[in-house]
Amino acid sequence: MAEMGEGTLVEFRDLTVSYGPVPALAGVSGAFPAGPTGLLGPNGAGKTTLLKTLLGFLRPDGGQLTAFGLDPGRQPLDVRRRIGYMPEVDCHLPGMTAAAFVAFAGELSGLPRDEAISRAHEVLYYVGLGEARYRTVDTYSTGMKQRVKLAQALVHDPDLLLLDEPTNGLDPEGRDEMLGLIRDVSTRRGMSLILCSHLLRDVEHVCERVIVLNQGKVAAAGPIAELTGPRRSVYDVRLKGDAAALLTDLKDQGCDWREAEDGYRVFLSDGLGPELIFRAAQECGVQVRFLRPGAESLEDVFLRALGHDTGTVGTAGKGTSIETETRTVSSERSVARNDRALGD
Amino acid sequence: MPIYDQTYRRYEARGPLRALRFWPITREALRLVLVRRWFLALLAAAWLPFVVQVIRIYIVTRFPEANRILPVDGRLFGELLSWQAAFTMFVAIFGGAGLVANDLRTGAILVYLSRPLTRRDYVFGKLGVLMALNLAVTLGPALALYAAALALAPETFWKWSLAWIGPAIVAQSVAISLVMGLVVLAVSALSRSARVAGLGFFGLLIGLDVARGILYAFYRRPETALLSLWANLRSLGVALFGLSERALTVHWPYPAAVLAAVCVGCVLVLRSRVRAVEIVR
Repeated sequence: MAEMGEGTLVEFRDLTVSYGPVPALAGVSGAFPAGPTGLLGPNGAGKTTLLKTLLGFLRPDGGQLTAFGLDPGRQPLDVRRRIGYMPEVDCHLPGMTAAAFVAFAGELSGLPRDEAISRAHEVLYYVGLGEARYRTVDTYSTGMKQRVKLAQALVHDPDLLLLDEPTNGLDPEGRDEMLGLIRDVSTRRGMSLILCSHLLRDVEHVCERVIVLNQGKVAAAGPIAELTGPRRSVYDVRLKGDAAALLTDLKDQGCDWREAEDGYRVFLSDGLGPELIFRAAQECGVQVRFLRPGAESLEDVFLRALGHDTGTVGTAGKGTSIETETRTVSSERSVARNDRALGD
Repeated sequence: MPIYDQTYRRYEARGPLRALRFWPITREALRLVLVRRWFLALLAAAWLPFVVQVIRIYIVTRFPEANRILPVDGRLFGELLSWQAAFTMFVAIFGGAGLVANDLRTGAILVYLSRPLTRRDYVFGKLGVLMALNLAVTLGPALALYAAALALAPETFWKWSLAWIGPAIVAQSVAISLVMGLVVLAVSALSRSARVAGLGFFGLLIGLDVARGILYAFYRRPETALLSLWANLRSLGVALFGLSERALTVHWPYPAAVLAAVCVGCVLVLRSRVRAVEIVR
């Protein structure tokens, strides 16, 4: 394998991982540089599979993956030692207080017992559970359990934090606090992280770069700032009158659209300008009450990467969101059988 | 003050991984088991047969004619370990049935396996708990009884011809502890509920022994002992301590082979069930 680029923590090339006959990752290539990176994709896209391969739980069928220059399949202990993993699923030891649980996690990561206990208390204060650290984790609310999961991932001060759906089950306030913590871990404590989520707002809030996976392939990758931003061919419009006729007309001319918060977002084909919208509106007898060049959001990038025609999204009705789309893909892929799992 | 304004200290002092990586698993699981008072009471109750046997030795030393009714010799320790095997069943049910099942139910298995630990470390850690508890109710009382016997009746036990007792006690105790520990861990790994695992283990042990009893009643052949886990362990004891139990007198390599096969089967079950990636079939 070629030398990893400077500042690159994880690199994968032509990586293929299958669960029996079902490929979860189909020859993907990419890299996670130092810093916060989002791993986006609908359920079943291969995000968790990539994380589990990185942890050495799954052995690739083909291609290569290196973390910190090491092969997780051959040196899983050395890799895991430098990684903090916050799983998507609930995880705690019944009957243990948060302080004992986090200290235990530290010891399992190789910290001496005294140091593990000391760090457990510090980390629990850091995640906001200082006052509740002597309660058993079984009695915690969902939000508190999420924080304990983060604490056990942080206790040994990993070089790379893997966060699998860290805001699952949290109310809006709890979600903001969790995202604030994660952002702080990344920006002020200088820890690299991979935030795995299907919630775009979470990724936008924390990460500078993103890798979008879809059906086991990398659909888009790069800095969020480069992937999004103003584009000449995207316009936000508000209409009065028979909007459906206008939108059908635009669709016939090769343009896409989707419903936006307050109107429509129109994606014009290359070479076309806003005059097309005015002309079509005039023909359909629709008033254009507002028109301005739109900045493509991460949601647009995501939908484009997933290969969705934005027009079809729009026809599903107002309120169609990523979550709705992901459920469809998830149901198709969740039947995947995990026939292979790696032993140590 | 926002929570994230509080301190977070980087840790730069990473040393090499400890040699016995499974030790924290054993220690913490033991601590969780031993905080239950009734479990401590069970461990204490497991010493009752020891007390009874000490009294027996004492009576025989004071009244030598009692030796005809209550013979005191090497068989004493075999009888004690037969009793202790019953206690290991309860220890395994109440202390071991949840060891893997609870981790599977609560997702804690990921906490272990995402650390610098192998699956072998995990199993050793859990098995260590059961070995410690089982040896506490087998090896502990049996060696204590041996020491008491040497002290109370040196003229009977302080002989070169009875020097086999110590190694036999160790061998039988380790066999009971290891087999019971591995079987309960395997059963625990097959369920996500400690209760179901405990009942399953109890059913397996008692069910097979009842089946053996029924078959023996029909055919009167000691080979039926090979069917039951418990009877196999007792058959080993019969061979080691020269006990006279006709129903369990089988040439020792046979029960030893059955027990070895059971252990291999348990390891295979643990190998397939203790995984960070769940297998859906």
